[in-house]
Order: sequence, then structure tokens, then C-alpha cells
Amino acid sequence: MAYTNKLKVIYGDGTLGLDGDGFDYIFSYEKGGLESLKIDNKEWLYRVPTPTFWRATTDNDRGSGFNLKAAQWLGADQFAKCVGIQLTVDQHHFAELPVAPITNQFDDQQTASQVEITYTFAILTVPSTKVTVTYLIDDQGQIKVTGHYYGHSDLPELPVFGIRMIMPTKATGFDYQGLSGETYPDRMAGGKPGQYHVDGLPVTKYLVPQEMGMHMRNQYLVIHRNSTQNNADQVNTNFDLRIAADQQPFNFSCLPYTAEELENATHIEELPLARRTVLVVAGAVRGVGGIDSWGSDVEPAYHIDSAQDIEFSFILNAHK
Amino acid sequence: MEADIKWLDDPETFRVNQLPAHSDHHYYGNYREWQTHASRFVQSLNGQWQFKFSANPQERPVDFYAVDYDTSAFDRIKVPSEIELSDYAQNNYINTLMPWEGKIYRRPAYALSADDAQEGSFSEGKDNTVGSYVRHFDLDPALRGKDIRICFEGVERSMYLWLNGHFIGYAEDSFTPSEFDLTPYIQDEDNVIAVRVYKHSTASWIEDQDMFRFSGIFRNVELKAAPVTHIEDLTIMPHVNDDFQTGTFNFAARLSGAAAGSVRILVHDADGNVVVDETLPTDEHIELNEIAVENLHLWDNHHPYLYQLLVEVRDADGRLVELVPYQFGFRRIEISANHVVLLNGHRLIINGVNRHEWDARGGRSITLTDMEDDIKTFKENNINAVRTCHYPDQIPWYYLCDRNGIYMMAENNLESHATWQKMGAIEPSYNVPGSVPQWKEVVVDRARTNYETFKNHPAILFWSLGNESFAGDNLVAMQQFYKQHDATRLVHYEGVCHTHNYQKQIPSLDPEQYLSKEGCKDYRPELSDVESWMYLPPHQVEEYLQNNPDKPFMECEYMHDMGNSDGGMGSYIKLLDKYPQYFGGFIWDFIDQALIVHDQISGQDVMRYGGDFDDRHSDYEFSGDGLMFADRTPKPAMQEVKYYYGLHK
Repeated sequence: MAYTNKLKVIYGDGTLGLDGDGFDYIFSYEKGGLESLKIDNKEWLYRVPTPTFWRATTDNDRGSGFNLKAAQWLGADQFAKCVGIQLTVDQHHFAELPVAPITNQFDDQQTASQVEITYTFAILTVPSTKVTVTYLIDDQGQIKVTGHYYGHSDLPELPVFGIRMIMPTKATGFDYQGLSGETYPDRMAGGKPGQYHVDGLPVTKYLVPQEMGMHMRNQYLVIHRNSTQNNADQVNTNFDLRIAADQQPFNFSCLPYTAEELENATHIEELPLARRTVLVVAGAVRGVGGIDSWGSDVEPAYHIDSAQDIEFSFILNAHK
Repeated sequence: MEADIKWLDDPETFRVNQLPAHSDHHYYGNYREWQTHASRFVQSLNGQWQFKFSANPQERPVDFYAVDYDTSAFDRIKVPSEIELSDYAQNNYINTLMPWEGKIYRRPAYALSADDAQEGSFSEGKDNTVGSYVRHFDLDPALRGKDIRICFEGVERSMYLWLNGHFIGYAEDSFTPSEFDLTPYIQDEDNVIAVRVYKHSTASWIEDQDMFRFSGIFRNVELKAAPVTHIEDLTIMPHVNDDFQTGTFNFAARLSGAAAGSVRILVHDADGNVVVDETLPTDEHIELNEIAVENLHLWDNHHPYLYQLLVEVRDADGRLVELVPYQFGFRRIEISANHVVLLNGHRLIINGVNRHEWDARGGRSITLTDMEDDIKTFKENNINAVRTCHYPDQIPWYYLCDRNGIYMMAENNLESHATWQKMGAIEPSYNVPGSVPQWKEVVVDRARTNYETFKNHPAILFWSLGNESFAGDNLVAMQQFYKQHDATRLVHYEGVCHTHNYQKQIPSLDPEQYLSKEGCKDYRPELSDVESWMYLPPHQVEEYLQNNPDKPFMECEYMHDMGNSDGGMGSYIKLLDKYPQYFGGFIWDFIDQALIVHDQISGQDVMRYGGDFDDRHSDYEFSGDGLMFADRTPKPAMQEVKYYYGLHK
């Protein structure tokens, strides 16, 4: 069929497909998230995006014992437990997820102007709290992603709160509009606003691999890749994914490793071969501190209070 | 005199037959030699030496210095270099505790009682590795027939020297030049020089710096011939008058040889205008006093204006026999009545770093290129000051700081934190140097050597007694030495804060965190012109500044840049705007201490830190606290330092 300016909606039995001009998305009901983010026939997701809470322990974190206090966020980061999915297509909210036989009423001509799908995660802390990740897809295929952390006063301060997207292959580089260099809330005065290009996915050479590569307050980010895992696609031309700020500038790090991979290495050369792209879009970033490395905490203004709700959003596959 | 290995155990024997410390001036035969930096009087002994490593003193080749000793089985080692980095001995990084922690029980001689000499502590120490160095050389023709000295610019930690089978002398103090007279035994050809280097001696207790623990001849070795008349030492005392526009030039020199003739003292400004031109008859001691200088160009970070001194020593026939050039500056540092540090009448703000000498391949055997790179990094990032933590640096570094306007805190080679800091607690029961009489002269000598060697450098604004060495009468003696010899600089010492109760000045500070349980004499009135702390959080710095500060305040170490750090720097910098008595600080520190090693598994050259050499006890990655990675590329935090240090340039 000829595409209209509407989203094509494919009601599957384990997924919801959304297609349009130059994009094909699959939202999984089983995997708890966006399973496929295909733009111009190039896949951008290796596994579904998940909430992220852990940062690889910095030397200052270790010195102040923050890693010990915050340890349960490591498990919560590693293991995501999706407990609910809410789907709204245009104005219609599905009381239960539309799989057969409910979907037998549909056909291959279903369209919509807007689709919203929310995944709710039970967070594996004690006590537990929850996070929702909401995808709001417009008829152009732009996805507004909203992460919401539900505060709980009995939890330790968070190392970070964000959404982690792992891409199938290693990026060749990225461009962003934000601040120069690696910045954190308590270390961004020297960051100069501007548009920057970063070649490859550099790993900052801290002697012990640790939290690194954060970029605060960005307007956009464009990630460049030139390879896929698709055996039928051996064309190594460049292709991009654009992420843009929604209401507020967003924070991100774009590295070849997860926080857990960094955490497990005591030297750079122990890190696995770099083969993927790990994008963290962070709604709340903890400062790095610097008074000393044997006890002093990060200054209070740069902590992430676990008792408060945190909500942030950004646009995935943003059009220029 | 014969060498005695027991000197290693004796804190009162630290220099034997060493020539007195003197100014670090170069000297040449004529102007062309000066322009080409090629003095006819100097012969380098850097290069390959024969070398025998011994695991302990008992295994050392006892008679290796004998002229007929068969050294055919010796290895070769590069001078200068670290013995450990040639893989003879294990690399070990350790911070506070002594390197023999958990292996050997030791106490410093006389620390616990006046009759506790701790005999054999080091001379029989099973951990005391020994390097025996031998080199054969001929004197360069230009040096023959003259008095010949040898200068070792840095040897860790205790060295014995022989020439042609004769014992010459003994030296400690690893980080200052040790000079000996070879004249009685030198030959034109076929000289055999032998140096025995011990890794440990009583000096180990006061050289307990937070660093990789190396040994060996790690700085230059030079032969120096004395011209027929020779300036042994010179003291340049530029004085700035209260108007900051005029001043006086004062000059003193000690000469040897002192054949009849004259000494011309010439000073040019940077445009070549003659400022001073005086000629005196040659004598053992000469001086010029109160020569008026008009239209002064002051030296500071922004305008490191240097005047060129040229001392021409001429014989009775008027022939030039020695030329001594030295660049010096006019600048004045003082503390105002309201406790503000002033440089040239303006408030001084230190945007500083602590800098260990470090090279990821050479350890503390660094190159001139390393130094030049570091100065460039300073200038690019608004760093205006350096603390030579915690020992005197190589001589060229001081000249570079003069030329580039880098303010220096010139620290003595002294750190003894293992003797009073026990897992964070202040426990000085066997502290040295403290007030132990047998440990007084050795530390005063370190103050003297630091002063005498570097006294003419305008870059030095502060002498620092040392680092983390608690306090006591011996530190007071060091302070007094500086006060008696140098009215033109301030004296800094941080460790004294552990003897004073700050309940009125910094009320939120828990005395248990910085005072010893047993209590001790309050040395604060006698030590340090400035109030210096390390890592005091911003709110407590502010408490001090709000409570009638009676000394200007600085952080000799702050912003600990281990790994991904340097957050919250603005909280310190904003205090500069609120309190004139706060004059900044020195970031800890400039460059990671890590070593490049070839990793067999990955096939890559990689950085290794403490503990990576199976070295135990270790403080592991604590060796890497720099703004720079060990390969001299900046950490991401550098842009933050550049920004904040740019606010009060």
C-alpha cells in the first residue's frame, strides 16, 4: 500500500509493529520494550532499552564508600523486570494487550496518528520501587521517550537514573551540541557550549576503568555507524541516529561498554573487545566530587535523592 | 678515611666529605660557550656504567671499587635510570606505610629512647638492595690539570663513592646535588670510579613520600673542573623598594683559587641596557651592596621579567677565565598587616598544582622534554604555581619556572608520615624528625642544601619544610635556618596543624581527627608563616576565614584528582572572592604515577599502577591522582581547572 502520513500499525501476537516512511519499529510484549528500531533498514537496537541506575564506581565513590551504600542499584541496573505494558493507539486505550483473539478484528490496513506504549518496571531494590518508560510515537516516526522514576525514601541515593540503549555494532563516532569534554553536574563550568564531533567511542584512560564520558545539557546527539549484524547487508555506508532534546537539554554518555563491564575491569586492557555502542540518556547525574578520595562525599547539591520522583524525556529518531 | 657501612644505620651521618652546597649557577670559559651551552669545564658521565645488583648488603661485592677488581661479570646499566625499571628489583608503590611494612619490624634510631641506636637496622637489612656501579673514564683534555669535582644530581638513597681505589665520600638526601672533590686522586686517563647505592638507610624514614619506591643514580652525573679562579657560590639579592619602581641590587660571591685579577659584575635589562657594571678585585669573598636600580621591571606570572647577570672573572692580565651568567628577577613577597599575601604589592593568588617528577617509562628519571611539556601545559591551563612535592626537583625545572613566571613552593626532601600517621589516626609515638636530637642536623642540612642550591631563583616565593612530617623542635630548627638566611621569601609548613587546637578557628572540626590523643606542644607560633591545610572541605576553609584569621590561608593540597574527579572546584574558588586572606592552593596532583608495561595477554603497551607488580603491601591505584594521565595527555577535568584558574589570573 502507499504510505499515508499516518503510522501503519501491525497488531502482532507478541509485538506491536509501527511502520512509516523510512522507519520500522517493533515493540515487544515479551521482552519489555522497544525491540527493533529500524531506520532506513538499519537496526539500531541490540536488546530492548532498560532503565539504568549504576555507574561504574569512581575512585572517589570507592573512597567515600558510596559504592557500598548504593550497591543494590547495581543489581537493579543489571536485571530489568518488566511488570506491565499499557498501550494507547490514537485515543483508544487497550484495557489488555491486543493479541489474538482480540486482534482478529484487525487487518493489514491499520493506521494511527499517534501511539503511546508504556512499560512499567519493578525495580529490584529492597524495598522495591518502579520506573516507567513511555514511548510516544508520532506519525513521522519520531519517538518521545519519557523515563519516570518513582521516589522511595527508604532507598540509597542513586548513582544515576537514565535509559540505556545498546546498539548492535560499534559506532564510528558521534556529533552533539552541548558542552566540550566530559562533564558532570559539579564539573561543567569549564565545558564550552558548542557543536562537537567525537571520533569512535573513546574510553577515557582512567587507570581503573570507572564512570566516564558523561556529557551534560545537550540539544542533540547524532550517532554514526557503518556496520550492522544483518548478514544480508554488507554495505558499509554511514548511517545515523539522531536524538534531540524534548523540553529540556538531555545528558548522555556514548561508550562501547556498560557500567557493569567497566566495573569488572581493574585495567583498560581487561575490558572486552569493543563491539557495541552503549548509549545512556541520563535524567539525573550524580557529581563526581573531588574534595578527597578517602571519605568526603560529593557536595549535597549534586546527589540524586532517591525519595524524589525523577522524570525526563528526549526525542529518539528526531527529524531535523 | 674508610667507608663504613654502619653509616646507613646512623641518622647523624648523612654527608661525609661532601662539598658544601652552593648556588646552581652554570659557568663557562667564554661568551661563545655560554651561547652554545657547552662549557669547557664540564664532562658528562651519563651513559652506560658497569653494574652489579645485590639483593642485600651481605651479598654486595665488597671490594668492587678496587682498581684491579674483576668486573667482567658485571652487567650494564644506563645512568641516569631507576634500578627497578631495569627489572633488577621489584617495583613497589606505597603511600604512607614504610615499604618494609609487614616484612621487617623496624623503629627509627633513637625515636623511642636515647640509647636505642637500632644497630644493623639497614646495614644488615635483608630488604636493602644494593647497586654497585663502576665506570672507567679519561678526563677530557680541557679538564686536565684543574681541580676536579663530581656532582651527582640525584641518587636514591644512600651512596658511597670511590675513585681509583680511594674512598671519596658518602651522601644521603636523594633529591639534591651531592658534590665531591676528586682532585687528590684524579688521573688524566684510566680513572675507575665506583659508586655503591643502598636503597635504604635511616634516610628512608624521612623520605617516605607517596610514590613508587625506586633506587639508583636517577639524575645526571657530571665532572666539573674549576677554572683557575672560580665562583663557588653566588647570592643575588634583588630588593624592591616601597614604591615598587626602584630597588637595589645586592650581590655576594665566594671564590676559590682566587688568583690575582678582577671580577666584573654586569647586569643588563631585557633590552640590553646596562643596569649595573662594577668591577672588584678578586678575593675569596666579594660583595656589592645597595646598587640603586631605577625603573624596575618587576617579575610575576604575567610578566616574568628577568635581568641578565654576567660575572666575568679575569686574571691579572685581564684574560677572561670564567663567565657566570644568571637570570634573576625583582619581586617582593610579604604578608600585609591584615594577613593578606602580597606579591609586588598586589594580592597573590595561587592557582597551583603539586608536581611529582614522573615519566611513565623512566619513573622519576625525567627528561628536559618532560619538563618543557609540563610548563606548556601549565601555561595553556592557567596554572601559575607549582609545589615541588615532596623533594627538590631537577635544576632545569627551576630555571623554566623563572622564565615562565611559575610561582614555586620549593619543598625540602622530607616526608615521614609513617612515623606518626597510623591508619588515619595521629599517633606520633616514634615520630622522626620530631624533637629527637640525633635527627636534627640531617633535616637542617636538607633545608640548607635546598636554600643554597636554589636561592637565586625568583620563581621561589615559598620555602616548604617538607610534607606530612608532624612537628617538633627539629622542624623549628629548619624554619629558623630559612628565617636567618632569607628575608625575601615566606616559609610554609602544613604538618604543624596537628599540634594546634582549632576549636575557635574551625569549630566544626573534630579534634580527634587531627590531634593525637596524648597531646603535644603547640608549634603553631613557631612554624609556618601561612596557615596551610590539605583537603580541608570548603565550608571549613570558610570557617577559618570567618574567625579572625591570624595567618593567611592556603591549601597545600586540594582537589584530589584520582580517576574521574575534580568536581566541586567552584566551592573553593568562590572563597577567593569573599576572603582576601585566602590565597588559593595546589591541586593534588599534576600527573598520574603509572608505568608503561608491555602486556603479554593483549599485546599492547599498557599503564600499570601500584600492586600490579605483585608488590605488597601496596596502595594500588592511589598512585594515579593526576590532572594528566601518565602519558602526559590531559584528563577531561583539565578544562575545569583551566576555567576556574582563569577566573583569578
